[in-house]
Amino acid sequence: MTSIDEGQPIIVAQDVGKQVPMPGGALTILEGVSFEVKAGERVAILGVSGSGKSTLIGLLAGLDQPSHGRIRLAGEELSALDEDGRARLRGRTVGFVFQTFQLLPGLTALENAMLPLELAGRSDAESAARDLLARVGLAARAHHYPRQLSGGEQQRVALARAFATSPAVLFADEPTGNLDAHTGEKIADLLFDLNREAGTTLVLVTHDERMAARCGRRLHLDAGRLVRDER
Amino acid sequence: MNADRLAWRFLRRDWRAGELRILLGALVIAVATTSAIGFFTDRLQRAMVRQSAELLGADLVLKTPRPAQQAWLDEARARGLRVAQGLEFPSVVLHGEALQLCDVRAVEPGYPLRGRLRIAPAPDAPAQETRELPARGEAWVEARLLPLLQASLGDTLTLGRLSLRMTRVLAFEPGSGGNLAALAPGVLVRAEDLAQAGVIAPGSRVTYDTQFAGDPEPLARYKRWLAAHAGTGAQLVDVHEGRPAIGSALDRTERYLGLASVSAALLAGVAIAMGARRYSERHFDVSAMLRCLGVTQRNLVRFYLRQLLLLGLLGSGTGVLLGFAAHWGLLFLLSGLLPAQLPPPGLQPAAFGFFTGLVLLTGFALPPVLRLQRVPPLRVLRRELDPLPLGAWLVYGAALATLALLLWRTTGSLALTASVLGGSVAALAGFGTLAWSLLRAIRWPMKGAGVAWRYGLHALWRRPALAVGQILAFGLVFMAMALTALLRGDLLSTWRSQLPARAPNHFVINVLPDQVGPFSVFLREQHIDSAALYPMVRARLTAINGTPAGARNGHTHDESLRRELNLTWSRTLQADNGLTAGRWWQPGDEGQPLVSLEAGVADRLGVGLNDRLTFDFGGGQTLEVRVASLRTVQWDSFKPNFFMIFPPGTIDRFPATYVTSFYLPPGEQALMAQMVRRFPAVTVIDLEPLMAQVRQILSQVTLAVEYVLAGVLLAGFAVLAASLQASQDERLFEGALLRTLGASRYQLRAGHLSEFVLLGGLSGLFAAAGAQGVSALLYDRVFHLPVHVQWPLWLLLPPLGALVVGAAGYWGTRRVVEQSPLAVLRGL
Repeated sequence: MTSIDEGQPIIVAQDVGKQVPMPGGALTILEGVSFEVKAGERVAILGVSGSGKSTLIGLLAGLDQPSHGRIRLAGEELSALDEDGRARLRGRTVGFVFQTFQLLPGLTALENAMLPLELAGRSDAESAARDLLARVGLAARAHHYPRQLSGGEQQRVALARAFATSPAVLFADEPTGNLDAHTGEKIADLLFDLNREAGTTLVLVTHDERMAARCGRRLHLDAGRLVRDER
Repeated sequence: MNADRLAWRFLRRDWRAGELRILLGALVIAVATTSAIGFFTDRLQRAMVRQSAELLGADLVLKTPRPAQQAWLDEARARGLRVAQGLEFPSVVLHGEALQLCDVRAVEPGYPLRGRLRIAPAPDAPAQETRELPARGEAWVEARLLPLLQASLGDTLTLGRLSLRMTRVLAFEPGSGGNLAALAPGVLVRAEDLAQAGVIAPGSRVTYDTQFAGDPEPLARYKRWLAAHAGTGAQLVDVHEGRPAIGSALDRTERYLGLASVSAALLAGVAIAMGARRYSERHFDVSAMLRCLGVTQRNLVRFYLRQLLLLGLLGSGTGVLLGFAAHWGLLFLLSGLLPAQLPPPGLQPAAFGFFTGLVLLTGFALPPVLRLQRVPPLRVLRRELDPLPLGAWLVYGAALATLALLLWRTTGSLALTASVLGGSVAALAGFGTLAWSLLRAIRWPMKGAGVAWRYGLHALWRRPALAVGQILAFGLVFMAMALTALLRGDLLSTWRSQLPARAPNHFVINVLPDQVGPFSVFLREQHIDSAALYPMVRARLTAINGTPAGARNGHTHDESLRRELNLTWSRTLQADNGLTAGRWWQPGDEGQPLVSLEAGVADRLGVGLNDRLTFDFGGGQTLEVRVASLRTVQWDSFKPNFFMIFPPGTIDRFPATYVTSFYLPPGEQALMAQMVRRFPAVTVIDLEPLMAQVRQILSQVTLAVEYVLAGVLLAGFAVLAASLQASQDERLFEGALLRTLGASRYQLRAGHLSEFVLLGGLSGLFAAAGAQGVSALLYDRVFHLPVHVQWPLWLLLPPLGALVVGAAGYWGTRRVVEQSPLAVLRGL
């Protein structure tokens, strides 16, 4: 666990920009993005497709390096860490939920949920993962493989995996984007419930206005720039 | 829209996107390897055949008691073959008071068609190759004739009414090497001189030698034509039949090279199958989209077949060109060791390489690509909808059929095809089960290992089907390599032992019965190691079970029915003979009408135990005997051996001379002169020139074999690369996800390493078991070598497999930790 008290900034982005080289010259995806997220906050990142939302949370989580600017996550300067350092930081600080679930197809629901615990060397990995699967309502399907589960069930497994290590920050990239409205609603409820129980900071990328409305703060991106910070 | 153009456009797009590299790469490697081996071995094999032909003096020799008919010669020339004629006959030559029975060979310009005569200006001078023939009025003679005639070069010998000046010493004469029937010293003269000599009269024992040389295909067709037209009095000899020692060496080489090239094709096939599977999986979305857009299943299949055909033409063409280039590289690297003049590269290896590529693609790539027609169109909405997998029988059936075709096409041997295929299928089924159970078993002892290591191992047993498949694939690679190395090692050692360091290099014949004692004493005094002295009685086989031998249907072409046979008697069985049926002589058999037959000749004569054979010893003396046993004989031991052995006392009353063989170290020629002076009737035949040629052939065979092994190794690496490539996407995704979840590079890399080390170790273990099994089959059924436990396989293969697969897998998966996890996850 990371020792950032409630109310202290847990994510700090300063003048973050990202360019990718393309055949016709560099393509700017993000430019001059600066903001802070305090521990325990719930932040929704909104914007149309291609506005740079997913790139931004990838950078915030240390999955990729910004072309310029600085990002601090849980008190650590990301640019000062190498890839392994960032991996260790993610392992103890960060949880993820993806739009496309990103479960390992060769592992059962239980094994997928155990993954971050095993990586952290936790000896109680299996029992902790079972508890979480029970919490998301999938106790009976622990030994099913992802292809045997519906989309909603797969996202529940992903939620169990994301909360397994009790992360300080949870990044969710359109977690209901691949689900029907009804299932999406249930997943969103589960996400916010788990978030409240764990006291996790939540950074959520979404198109869904109703989901965004449940967050205390909304950052609007347009063409790679932060255009509105709405509380 | 033109379907071909559409297929071509898709193919180009796939190429640009990097989708085809694995498949095309594996195909190119397959075809390049097979055709490089093909070009190289084709030329080397033809060179070896040519060298054997140099011993024979031609590619094909027809021996007839009368001159060859003009029609036969015309037919040969019409088929583009070169022809040379000559004749051989025994005749007495004189010089002053001395006279000597000689083996006279009369030749025309053009002789020999293959190889060169070697002559020397004096008996002790070094011999040199020559393209010339004796001039008219001259004779070239073997060195041993000069002391026998008490003559020297420049003197004149008399042959019938003809006087010939002896101008050169004949050191090597193609066509005479190893011909033990021609035991008298050789004399080479011009055929044009013979008419004046008057030595050839009706009834003379003349053998007309008609020699042919040319390209293998027309030659083989002509041989069949001639066999049908020449009738029974004629004998046809080619390089495979002429000399037992060379014949079996060439035979084994060709079988071996064939086997090795199929191993390479098999490995490449595995690589192609892996590449095709990846290609197919990456085209699920495209196929679903095409079907959504209204393309029927039938047209989808056609579309992919077109792509496959284009790919095949492209890959095979490139492969043949690369293979052609690679074989020149090999030749260049080896230029110092190869025969100076290799035959030019043929078209046949190119055609075969091309054919191999298309066949491999059909057998190994078609099934996974056919799976694409089953992609449900709904996949455009639900990406997780994969097409139904194909029936296992189709996938493995196609691969097996392909292999069987290639094996059969390469080896021409159904026995070899069946044994290799049978061995492989049995190995796959048995090993698949074994690999599965082993994988399950290792889960428990690994529970206490570190997290990264545990993950590497989990990666294997959590996807058991993939793991078993990979273990089998790598196992197959190592098995093929081990088999190749094993056969190479054993074949070579068999050949080496076939020619021991002190193998007899001189044959002695015509030792008269009253000289057997003194001659043995002489050999002992001179510390010469010799085989026993065997009596030799000449006779013809005239009847089998009372029926005249020539009249029996189906067995009339055997040589033993036409010429005089050398019979012997012996109380003991020779060490290099083995009894296969019946019993050897026992007390009381002395003088009984019994005979022991060599198994091969018994087979050719259609004779078994207890059949009765009648021999004609000349002068109206005949003897009927019963077959009491059958023996195998190691003909290439260079020791005296006999088709027919009688018990002591049965044929002793007929005139006999004695034969033996011995080893004489080089430079002991003075001893020979001494021997000839003390035993003037004895004929000594020097085998050294023949054996030098045999050794040279063997050393070239060794070389060919080494290079074929290198080709198989290359194909093995292709499989390794293809399997790593095939699992690359999955590994990238998994690696990215694990890193997202906090795994360090070290954890990932250690996991990869442990996965591949384990994979390689298990593959090595399976390869050892498989190679042991298949080699036992091959040794027993095909090469007729004794079967034994191959301990080095069991000790070396598992650690070697762990090392090679571990290192390659570690290297091959380095990209997994090099790419940004975000890029990977978003790219999906």
